[in-house]
This record gives sequence, structure tokens and C-alpha cells, in this order.
Amino acid sequence: MSRKKASLKAGKRLCGVVRLFFFLAFLLLFFRDNIGKGWSFAEWNWNALILAGAVPVMITLGVNLLPRLFPADRLLLSLTNFLCALGVLILYDTKPLYARHQVIAYGIGLIAMVICIYLIRGIRSWRFPAILLIPVSLLLLALPLLIGKEKNGARNWISFAGASMQPSELVKLSLILSVSWFMSRRKMIPWFLFSAACLGLLMLQKDLGTALLYFGVTLLLYWGSSGNTAVTLLGAAAGGGAAVLGYRLFAHVRLRVAVWRNPWSDYDNSGYQLVQSLMAIASGGILGVGLGLGSPTTIPVFESDFIFSVICEQFGVIFGLCVLMMYVALIWRGTVIAMAARGSFHALTAMGCTVLIGLQTFVIIGGVIKLIPLTGVTLPFISYGGTSLVSSMCLVGLLQGVASLNEDDLEEDAGIASVGLD
Amino acid sequence: MKQLRHRFKLLALFLFALFAALMLYGAYNIANYGTRWFSSSHNPRVAAQKENVIAGDILDRNGVVLASISEDGQRVYHPDAAVRSAVVHTVGSPDNKVADSVESFMTEYLYGFRSNLPDLIRNLFSGGTRKGDNVALTLDSTLCANIPRYYASHPVTGGKNGAAVVMNWKTGELLAVVSLPSFDPADAGVKSIDETGQPYWNRVTRGRYPPGSTFKIITAAAALRAGMNTGDDTFWCSGSLQVDGQHTIRDFSGEVHESEDLRKAFKLSCNPYFSDLALRLTDARLRGEAERFGFNDNVLFRDLVVENSVYPSGIRSDYEVAMSGLGQSTLLATPLHMCLVAAGIANGGVMMEPRLIREVKSPTGSSVLAFSSEAYRTACTPETAAVLQQYMKDVVQDGGSGWRARISGMDIRGKTGTAESSLDGKDITYGWFIGYSADESLPYALCVLTEDIEDGQTGGTTSALVAKDIFGYLLQINGQ
Repeated sequence: MSRKKASLKAGKRLCGVVRLFFFLAFLLLFFRDNIGKGWSFAEWNWNALILAGAVPVMITLGVNLLPRLFPADRLLLSLTNFLCALGVLILYDTKPLYARHQVIAYGIGLIAMVICIYLIRGIRSWRFPAILLIPVSLLLLALPLLIGKEKNGARNWISFAGASMQPSELVKLSLILSVSWFMSRRKMIPWFLFSAACLGLLMLQKDLGTALLYFGVTLLLYWGSSGNTAVTLLGAAAGGGAAVLGYRLFAHVRLRVAVWRNPWSDYDNSGYQLVQSLMAIASGGILGVGLGLGSPTTIPVFESDFIFSVICEQFGVIFGLCVLMMYVALIWRGTVIAMAARGSFHALTAMGCTVLIGLQTFVIIGGVIKLIPLTGVTLPFISYGGTSLVSSMCLVGLLQGVASLNEDDLEEDAGIASVGLD
Repeated sequence: MKQLRHRFKLLALFLFALFAALMLYGAYNIANYGTRWFSSSHNPRVAAQKENVIAGDILDRNGVVLASISEDGQRVYHPDAAVRSAVVHTVGSPDNKVADSVESFMTEYLYGFRSNLPDLIRNLFSGGTRKGDNVALTLDSTLCANIPRYYASHPVTGGKNGAAVVMNWKTGELLAVVSLPSFDPADAGVKSIDETGQPYWNRVTRGRYPPGSTFKIITAAAALRAGMNTGDDTFWCSGSLQVDGQHTIRDFSGEVHESEDLRKAFKLSCNPYFSDLALRLTDARLRGEAERFGFNDNVLFRDLVVENSVYPSGIRSDYEVAMSGLGQSTLLATPLHMCLVAAGIANGGVMMEPRLIREVKSPTGSSVLAFSSEAYRTACTPETAAVLQQYMKDVVQDGGSGWRARISGMDIRGKTGTAESSLDGKDITYGWFIGYSADESLPYALCVLTEDIEDGQTGGTTSALVAKDIFGYLLQINGQ
């Protein structure tokens, strides 16, 4: 019990530092916005000051309120909220309008997270939901092909009533839930067909980055559930074969690879994004140019795909490494939760969420630092994009749900043990 | 469940490995290429910063100001046009016509992107316009300005394009980097980028030429490594050598050297001997030796961007291998690299990294970056270097092909080269001289290249003359 208290104290301290960081950062941006405007308050831009108050409050709500409702993993909550708030901060610095959208999505994300926790806690039998999610997901994925619009080369967006969303972000959740359920019941055919159908639809949308994520998560989960290394390697080889085929067939894939190999050779056109990203990272140096300085907005899609480059330019490579370490800590917590789960469905769900967050982070950061060819996926929690943020928060919600069940089980065990002692 | 947990642990380890790859790759790349990415002429941050910061001065090794900032914030250069145009490829021009000059490669210092914290805080409170750091080069601007005059003073080299580089073989400091033709940075917009002779192009670091017979130093080093210089290993030079049944390799002037060993063949720069030697060495061993001397290396020097020199790979015919022994075939080398080869031999086989920056000082006078010399690579053993030093001494001081570079009062050693290539259907002959002064007190190595020399001229009759003038200057400034 004392160990738990110590970790609670450490978590609170961490949370305090995080709140202070964001308070000061937004305060700095508030000064930047209003410097030289004199003392006529009417002309001042108060948004940053509002955020300086609101963001720490949201972090407090996110980290401290939830554990009062049910047993939750505080460290995971602190990390998630820090990354979300970092996204809001970077967006406010570069494009304030996006920050407003992002704050709303952050709020919705917190609610969605709670809903996911209740779903995991509430639903006793996942048989029916797991089956139902399959047609719903496939329908959602097919929608952009029917009524969608093209953005950055991929046809993966739909819009209705003025709001737009990316179905593949939401289908991630159902993919993990359904695949985990069928895997936990050792029914191979349904999840195989489901994920294959998802991959097919994503290919049709030309959303190769997301397809890569779906494929990677399914493959790793399969290995996790079965331990069948031979089939997993076969699957990886098939994926590699598909990649080679894609390279041969599609000009845009060849272009991506060519840019990856030498972005400088075609600076003015295809290489522009990546070169701008590399120059931004290099301009930041070890300690960064400082929040509010530099020219991060010269990087195309700085708000989503390349937001990590913006972080590196402003806060430096050191901070970029720290952000990476936070994802590592997140993966570690996720794995611990998955390993503590009692049932294999919950274990696989938790591991699936962990692997997805980890892979997605690797794929996008690897892309912007030129380790692997760039595929347009978002950086979980940080990148601009409501659907993406909400879906990432839901992933954490699923993880938290499993964590809370684990805690319940532990308490039950303790109860039984104490009864036994009587 | 227990197995499941075990596999989860492995999955987490797999993800951690991916993240470790991200961090290592990122850190490695930023450490190695960060400066190059940052100082790219494409970087909009540099242009933005230039408007708020007074750029630092660029000075030569003796404190002569080569570039400073005028009252109205414009770059101004040395008052003497001869000095301005001699160092322009190194210092840079206002509109960055010269790629990777100090002006752009040292942007982070010159424009104060890397100011230290005390300076930043002082600036914050004083509120004045920030000033970038001053960069002192290792160049001797007088020598640089003299080199075009040396070229002009000899009928065989006057008016020719060329490249000359002088370095200290002990420390790697570059004393002169001159590329001809040049242009005057103060005389804006007179020449277009397509100008014949490409005046904006730094031939010393960017020009890649067939190294010709100067490469025989490396062929000889390979022979010494393979133990092929024994006394009975003599060769009968009949003036030509038949290779592949259809190609004949001759000496430049069709001389017949009769019986010769490595030393004599090196002194006389005998082509049949070295092509035969290359065939006996095999392509793989010759390439291995060339790579030990820095060929095919993607060089990343701290102060300079240098094109890599090429020793071709793949399956090659006997004729190509034989020609490689003479530095022909498709071998390419930059003048800077060939200077490094000579410097490496002088320094007992250790090639020092060429350095252009002597010191970077903040406007308040504190040192931001000080010169430090480091070895670039070890090309051969001191024993091999000693043998090659002797051979190179013969070339200059014992009636070899480089005798015109000899000067009294200095122990000059070197190697000449006469290389051929065809450009747009026209055969061009390049005259090379690479060499060094063996005195410990005058540790200078140089490379002089003259493009498109007249028929009948060689490296020994053209570039060696310029080399002699340069050595004369170095002797004079050292007061001997």
C-alpha cells in the first residue's frame, strides 16, 4: 500500500509540473500576442490567457477526476493529457484557429475516453458487439469511396453537416476490439477476412499509411495471441510482397520512396516537405529556437504529419527525445496493463491499443526524420485532427478500462484473501 | 496466459527497439548532417534571421578583414579586387552564387543562430540589434591573391583555368584555396551562372578531374603493401604495353625506359610499368588502397563541403584496370583530395582533416569555437610513407618529372600528373602537381591543377612552375 501511495505522490508531482509548464507556455504566447499593443485592453488577444487557465484545468480534470470514478492508471492519464495539451500548445503557436478546434476535440476526447472505460467495464459478453462491429466498420470505411473527398492524395475523408471526419480513425477501435475477440476465441477466419477487407478498402482509398498500421497491428496481435512465428513471418513476407507490388504498380509509391532516398534531388516539388522538415529540425538544434520563434509554418502540413518537426524546431532535439520517451513510457504502461489482464480478450485489446499507438508514432516520426518513407498518418494525441485525437483518446480509454478491471480483480482477490484469513 | 504475457513482453521490446532506432538514427543524422541541413540555401529561417542580425565579419589568418558589414547592412569585401576575387569561392558572394561558401556554411555563427546564453541575455537587456559571431579563417589572403598572379606569370599557365590548394600537412589548416577563373563579388551581376569557365564553381572542392599520374602514389602504396618492391622485381619498359590484345599503353612522350624498378618507374612516371603493376595488383587491391586514401568516401568535413572522389566499382576489363593504375579510366578526384594525398604521405601516412576555420569569436570577444586538428584517416603505415617520400623526393630533386618545382632552401617532394579526358567530344589535358615541403618547420602540402594545357605540355612543365612560386612565397614568409 505504501508503494502505491508513493507512486500516487510522484504522479501528482508530475501532474503539477505539467500544469506549470503549460501555464507558463501559454502565458508566454499571451505576451507574444500582445506585446507592443499598449494598455488598451480592448485590443488585446486574450485567447492565450484563457488557454493558460483552461488547459491546466483540463489536465486536472483528466488526471485527477477520473480516478475518483473508478480505479485508473494515473501515469497513463498524465502522459496522455500532457501529449494532448502539447498538441494544443503547438497549434496555438502556429495556427490559433486550429488550436480552438483541437481544444474542443480534446474535451470530446476526454468524454469519449470515459465512455470507452464504461464500455469495457460494462459489457460482459463481447460476442455480439464484436460481430456487429464488422459490418458497421466496413460500411464506414466504404463511405469515403462513395461520398468522400480527396485530401493530400488519399480519399479518406467524409463530411456531413459541415463537419468532416476520417472513418479509418474510428475503425481502428473496432478493428482492435473485433480482432481481439475473435483471436481470444481462437476463430481465425472471421478476423482474417475482416482485416483483409479493411486493408482492401484502405488501399482503394490510397491511404497507405493507415493500411500499414492496420496490417502491422493485426500481424503483431496474431503473433501475440498464437505465438506462431512461422505464420507471422509468412504474413510479414506477404506484406513485404504487397509493398513491392505497390511500388511496381503505383507511381505515387515510387515517388515516396525516391523522395525518401534523396529528398534534396527534387527540392522544389516532391522533396519539398521532407527537406523543410529536416531543415526545421536542424534549425532547432539541441535546445530549440524557443516557443513562438522560428518559422515552423514553412513546413507543409506542419499541423498534422510534420508536427514533430515543429516540436523539434521550437523546443529542440532534447525535447523531441523526451516526447519519444513519453511514448515509450506509454507503451510500457500499456504492456503492463495488458499483462495484468485476467481474460485473453481484455489482454489482447489492451495490447492492441498499445501496439497501435506505438506503431503509429514510429511510422510518422520515422517518416519526418527520413528513417522510413513518409506515409501520412497522424502523431497520436499531438497532431491536429479531431477524429484522430478522439480515436487516440478512445484507445487510451480501452486501456484504462482494462486497467480498472484489473484493479477490481486485485481488490476482489484481496477481499477473498482477507476473508480466508478470518 | 503465461505464454501470452511472455509474448506481450517481447512485443513491447520490439516496439522499444523501433523507438531506439528512431532516436539513434535521428541523433546520428542531426550530429552529422544538421549543419548542412540548416545552412542549406533553401532554409527560409536563414533569410529571415539575416534581416534582424548584423552578420559577423570574415577574417583571414592574419586578421585581415575579408568580409564585413557596411553602415546600411550590406556585405562589403576586401578593398583590393585581387584579394576579393581570389578568396570569393571560400568567403562567398552576397547572393550566394557560390555554393557552400563560409557565408552559407557558417551561417549559424555568422548570423548568431548559435549565440551563447550570456550573449543572448546581454542582447535582450541592451535591446540593440544582435550581431553575429566573427569567423577567422585559416587562409592567408596574400597567398591567395598571389596565386592567380603566379598562373599569369608563366606563358604555359597564363589565362588557363585551374585550381590550387595549400595546406599545413601537420594540422590540416588550409592556407590557400583558389579556383580560376574567378569573379569579383563587389562587381555584382556581371557574369551569369552559365558563364564559360564557370567562375562560380569552386574547382578545389567541387571539381572532379581524372587524377592521372598523381594517382601513381596510391598504386605504388598498394604495391608496397603487397610486398612488390623487392630488388628482383624489375620490369623491362619497351615504351609500350599491350593490354587485352587491342589496347596499347604508351608513355606520354613515347620514351623507352628499359630496365626499371618501382622507384625508377615512379621517378620517370612510366605508364607501361604502372599499368602492368595495376594488373598484377588486381582491381580489388587497387580499389582497396584507393579507398584507404579516401576515394569513394562520402566525406563529411567539419568546415567544408567536398565532393567525393571516385574509384569505380563493378566488373572492369583488364584495360580499365591497367588505366586505373595511371589514374585514368573513370577515376575522378578533387584537387583538395589530391592535396590531402600528398599531405598524408608527408605526415607519415596520416591524412589530417582539412580545416578552414581558425576561430569563431563572439562580438564581445569570447571564443565560441577554436581550431582543433584531427586526423581524417590513416592511409598507410609510416614505413610505406617513408618509402613514398623518398620516391617523391626523386621526382623533384633527382631529375624526375617534377624537377621544375625545385627551389633552393626547401626540401620539396612531389608527383606530377598529366591526365586526359574528353569533354563534349574535345580532348582536354590536365596538368597536375601535388607535393609538399618535408621540413618540419615548413609543413606545407599543395596541389596545383591547370586545365586544358597545350599539346606537348605536362603537369611537370605547367603546374610545377606555379607550385614552385607558391613554395617560394611560403619560404619567404617564414623568413628563411
